[in-house]
Amino acid sequence: PGMAGAAMPPAIMTKFGGATKILVLLNMVTVEDLKDDEEYEDIIEDVREECEKNGPVKSLVIPRPKEDEEVPGLGKIFVEFTAVGDAQKAQLALSGRKFANRTVVSSYWDEDKYTARDFA
Amino acid sequence: ARKERKRRRKSRWGGEEEKSTLPGLMTVIPPNMTPMQQECFLIHLKIEDINAKLRSGDLGIPEDPGQRSPSPEPIYGANGQRLNTREFRWKQRLEKERHELVQQATKLNPKYNPPADYKPPDSRVQD
Repeated sequence: PGMAGAAMPPAIMTKFGGATKILVLLNMVTVEDLKDDEEYEDIIEDVREECEKNGPVKSLVIPRPKEDEEVPGLGKIFVEFTAVGDAQKAQLALSGRKFANRTVVSSYWDEDKYTARDFA
Repeated sequence: ARKERKRRRKSRWGGEEEKSTLPGLMTVIPPNMTPMQQECFLIHLKIEDINAKLRSGDLGIPEDPGQRSPSPEPIYGANGQRLNTREFRWKQRLEKERHELVQQATKLNPKYNPPADYKPPDSRVQD
């Protein structure tokens, strides 16, 4: 606490272009990949390992498909860094890279929503 | 067993040198994109990814057999050549995926123009 992004003055938010500590990575995994337990663990390991090159990863969430239920944020990967700057560094490093031969796209997620595990 | 597998397997990340070169495609989503725009954008990107693979012939077949599905029983054609080779099956899979994406894109935007080299799959019933 203390440095929460929500408390940042508007001017800095603008400067960061909406950056937060939560980096969202898209277009990396398919629903099929996420169904398989081993594959799921491997993906978490791969993502954490690469993200940590840019700063400590506080937490990481990859929503998994549920039967007969729509899962918010499915197909997205949410990575919580300890500092906005680290998330930005990771975005620069990872956007456009390939993951399992798919082009990685990234964005940011609201920190309060992330804390509430709200991925909708 | 996990640790051992980890040492043997290769990361899914591609190297810095193969960072996206898809012309005109951004890989950072601006914060002001609506969810709908984001969805269209992602579908478009996925289609471009598949187009690039089909065009270059580098279908992105994982080297690690652990990341591939088990091979099916071979099917041979009249000339004794195997029909369902790995390349053939991957190509088919990519084309099917692209077809589904084109359908999604058309649903979201009826004016959507599919890529020039896209052909809808054969409508005739196959055994």
